[in-house]
Amino acid sequence: MTTILDISHVDMVFPTPSGPFTALKDVNLKIAKGEFISLIGHSGCGKSTVLNIVAGLNKASTGGVILNGKEVSEPGPERAVVFQNHSLLPWLSAYENVELAVKTVFGKRKSKAETRDWIEHNLRLVHMDHAMDKRPDEISGGMKQRVGIARALAMQPDVLLMDEPFGALDALTRAHMQDSLMEIQATLNNTVIMITHDVDEAVLLSDRIVMMTNGPSATIGEILEVDLPRPRDRLSLAEDPQYNHLRSQVLKFLYEKQRKVDTSRPAKPAAAEAEEAASALKPAQDSSAVA
Amino acid sequence: MSTTISENSGPSGAAFLTRLGPWLLRVAKPLAAPLAGIAVFLMLWSMAAQQIDTSLGKFPGPVAVSEQFGNLMSEHLAEREKETAFYERQEIRNADRVAKDPTYEPRIRAYTGKETFIDQIVTSLVTVASGFVLAAIIAIPLGIAIGLNKTVNAAVNPVIQIFKPVSPLAWLPLVTMVVSALYVSDDPMVPKSFVTSMITVTLCCLWPMVINTSVGVASIEKDLVNVSRVLSLKPLTHVQKIVLPSSIPAIFTGMRLSLGIAWMVLIAAEMLAQNPGLGKFVWDEFQNGSSSSLARIMAAVLVIGLIGYILDRAMLLLQRRVSWDKKSALR
Amino acid sequence: MITTRSVADSTRRLILKSTVTAVLIAAASGVVSAEELGYPEKEELKFGFIKLTDMAPIAIAYEKGYFEDEGLYVTIEAQANWKVLLDGVINGQLDGAHMLAGQPLAATIGYGTQAHIITPFSMDLNGNGITVSNDIWAQMKENIPHEDGKPVHPIKADALKPVVEKYKSEGKPFNMGMVFPVSTHNYELRYWLAAGGIHPGYYAPHKGDTSGQIDADAMLSVTPPPQMPATLEAGTIYGYCVGEPWNQQAVFKGIGVPVITDYEIWKNNPEKVFGISAEFAEKYPNTTIRLTRALIRAAMWLDDNNNANRPEAVKILSQSNYVGADADVIANSMTGTFEYEKGDKREVPDFNVFFRYNATYPYYSDAIWYLTQMRRWGQIAEDKPDDWYIDVAKQVYRADLYTLAARSLVEEGLAKAEDFPDFDSETGFKPEQSGFIDGVTYDGSKPNDYLNKFDIGLKQGDLL
Repeated sequence: MTTILDISHVDMVFPTPSGPFTALKDVNLKIAKGEFISLIGHSGCGKSTVLNIVAGLNKASTGGVILNGKEVSEPGPERAVVFQNHSLLPWLSAYENVELAVKTVFGKRKSKAETRDWIEHNLRLVHMDHAMDKRPDEISGGMKQRVGIARALAMQPDVLLMDEPFGALDALTRAHMQDSLMEIQATLNNTVIMITHDVDEAVLLSDRIVMMTNGPSATIGEILEVDLPRPRDRLSLAEDPQYNHLRSQVLKFLYEKQRKVDTSRPAKPAAAEAEEAASALKPAQDSSAVA
Repeated sequence: MSTTISENSGPSGAAFLTRLGPWLLRVAKPLAAPLAGIAVFLMLWSMAAQQIDTSLGKFPGPVAVSEQFGNLMSEHLAEREKETAFYERQEIRNADRVAKDPTYEPRIRAYTGKETFIDQIVTSLVTVASGFVLAAIIAIPLGIAIGLNKTVNAAVNPVIQIFKPVSPLAWLPLVTMVVSALYVSDDPMVPKSFVTSMITVTLCCLWPMVINTSVGVASIEKDLVNVSRVLSLKPLTHVQKIVLPSSIPAIFTGMRLSLGIAWMVLIAAEMLAQNPGLGKFVWDEFQNGSSSSLARIMAAVLVIGLIGYILDRAMLLLQRRVSWDKKSALR
Repeated sequence: MITTRSVADSTRRLILKSTVTAVLIAAASGVVSAEELGYPEKEELKFGFIKLTDMAPIAIAYEKGYFEDEGLYVTIEAQANWKVLLDGVINGQLDGAHMLAGQPLAATIGYGTQAHIITPFSMDLNGNGITVSNDIWAQMKENIPHEDGKPVHPIKADALKPVVEKYKSEGKPFNMGMVFPVSTHNYELRYWLAAGGIHPGYYAPHKGDTSGQIDADAMLSVTPPPQMPATLEAGTIYGYCVGEPWNQQAVFKGIGVPVITDYEIWKNNPEKVFGISAEFAEKYPNTTIRLTRALIRAAMWLDDNNNANRPEAVKILSQSNYVGADADVIANSMTGTFEYEKGDKREVPDFNVFFRYNATYPYYSDAIWYLTQMRRWGQIAEDKPDDWYIDVAKQVYRADLYTLAARSLVEEGLAKAEDFPDFDSETGFKPEQSGFIDGVTYDGSKPNDYLNKFDIGLKQGDLL
């Protein structure tokens, strides 16, 4: 297995009025090409910060990220991001949203016809070819997220970064989206890092689940290999003992080893706010999504 | 639903009437309240007017004012006739002169007659439009620069905050003098008074537009900025593709706001500076102090209000057409 | 209405054209030796005016096509006040304007604003009045002799003096309005007050005092003419001196009573002038002569046939773009009458004189009278020799330009030589004039002697 992405010794310290706050401490992770990684942990543990550092939207205080042998210093289309709140440009149609990305990334390297084909191909991939000319406010939340994924895929990224992509969706839509994502992943075999609160989602989609400890000084607690055979089917997996075992291991990590006792943290705001303020992608979902 | 009734009621005339009833009701219902409001207003106005005695006679009621509307219109038409005659006389005079002096190149000079009510309306509209467009040309780029850059914002903000609450009328004398000093030309394209009024309008449009644009730009969704960063958009493309469209609703809100203020200020400025336009019309009539002056001023007041309303609606329509955010353009 | 007028216009134009042609033919054949008047250098002109009936010559020259006959295309624009109007002429926004006689003089000697303004044309005689509020009138009336139940005119300021003294003893300033510091109205009001023993106050520009209220019994301040009635009504001032129709307006509105016309203060006093900048006259000589010609013809029309055209003039002036007041208000004074107290309408045939008595000729002696009043009230702070008065008058009152214009009109048969002064012998000084309310006589060639005749006012050698 070749390592495509190497996160090494990443620390993240935020200045706060009451002194520096260490959000991340010594995060190390190597990701192979084509691997699907889930980042799971309690709210405020710094998952988003990790993702943002990989995306280049935040800069690590120490340590760094190497992608394809090159250090990441700023955002770029080779690390496409699917944002939690779809982040489509509201004044553009689905087609135009993807088009902006395609034109920016490929520029003149694609002819007009090729560009058009490529945009339509990606929208078809997420089953949005029927609503290409609809604007974001005319389609449902799930559809918006599909377009968001299509936009990210259309950039042909080396790594696809997804920040709780389905967090804002209802359970049924979320299941549909997960199936779609698996289907796409089966064809494209992208390298993916996905943040999630949802244990089932993590187990269902991932090759490895990276579990993070609670902050401050959050870091990677455990990494769980998910060796379930693909293609995976959510119905049959529900009965699968191995699936349930993996699931309970994640739950154990979250609710025994890293139990979050709210009353024990009277000074929560300073830490949590600092992370939230610095993180470009605020977790809109609260931790109830874990349950 | 009405078809079933008409089938039963036989003859077509009756059917028509039965169908007309609900139709009338449907059309008239939303109109009923405004119409009643206007009727009550006219009644109160008419009654109040009877009670007020000024040194120029009774305060004009609706009848007197509508009469003056007629007079103003016929004065306008009469003036247009005089204008035609003026040009005819000029042609003859030019022809005469050419006959005597073949080297003379005849010129047609513009009509020198008075500006009618209608002319003054047009002047005011042109002035407000020019001042408004000039303000937009300055304010929108400036607002974007301020919204994008915290340093620029910190630098410009105190200046804006100080100038924003200043009535543009306070600027008027300064503007007048500066225009007189700087705008010198033997054959100016537009009169000085127009430039003065226009700049006054620009000054009062500027601040709301700058502030709204900068706030719109500054409050652009962080996620959208991140999209731009991930796409590594160049600064200019970033402004063009992300910033500008995203702040369109805020920009238009600012524009609508400032157009409303501009129209009010313009009228006052024209009154104060005696610059051509509706304001001058009002002031001239006030100075004339004739028995019809008050009615003519009242007619102008109604027209000013109506135009202000139409301008606002027009901006709203434009905003609805241009803006992606339909919620921001609801009222 | 319009059609008949335009028919009349075209007939007149035809006549004019034929006369012009006749002159041209004559000129070509060498019979007429006078130099031919050239085309105007500047054809599109803008003239300013203040809403007063004595702007009539400008309106008439426009409406009767006299400007167009000269190849001038004139726009006429009402101005907010005398200051704005003067500034307009100085900065070139206006090519010329209906001005207070004192304005070109004051500007040329640098009182107020410094600019060389000249006048080739005097616009009218008389036409002003002094009006007091109803309340003051009631108090004055007790001091005025009556005949047949009507007050005897002219009413002197002696009748006002006890009223002013009462206010003074109560510590209330007695405020009056006039239209401009160098206006005829200011000097006439001062003349009338001073003749009645009421001190109107001195100016002291060398000390920076331009309020004109030093030692004053009555406080005079500036109000633009059209706002006079409203200011009186508001109680800000108790009386004012202004041109028409603003005295008659007070009668119509029932807010005040005119007590005297300026005709009674100084019989046939010169009133407004047509002011242009010296620079304009130099740059556009033909235009200057031509506009003077048009104004002379308008003045002739206004007085023609013993004021026969005045009703038509009233109609024109009542248009909203000219004076704009109701026609009957304007008619009151323009047609040879003047209404004092409501119902007390008296004949004043010479209240508005536009042409007869050589009203349009810019006499040096008229200019000097204004200069003497500026000196009398301290606007000219220091003594000046008689020569100085005469020099300034000749710089500003351009009788030479008037003469050229009038002569060319006579040559073209558009005017009769006997209607004008005899230009060959005219000195520009009227013979010693009487007809002042205080009986003092005026000889324009001896300004310092004249100043010494007054009880109230600065005399030779005085410096505040």
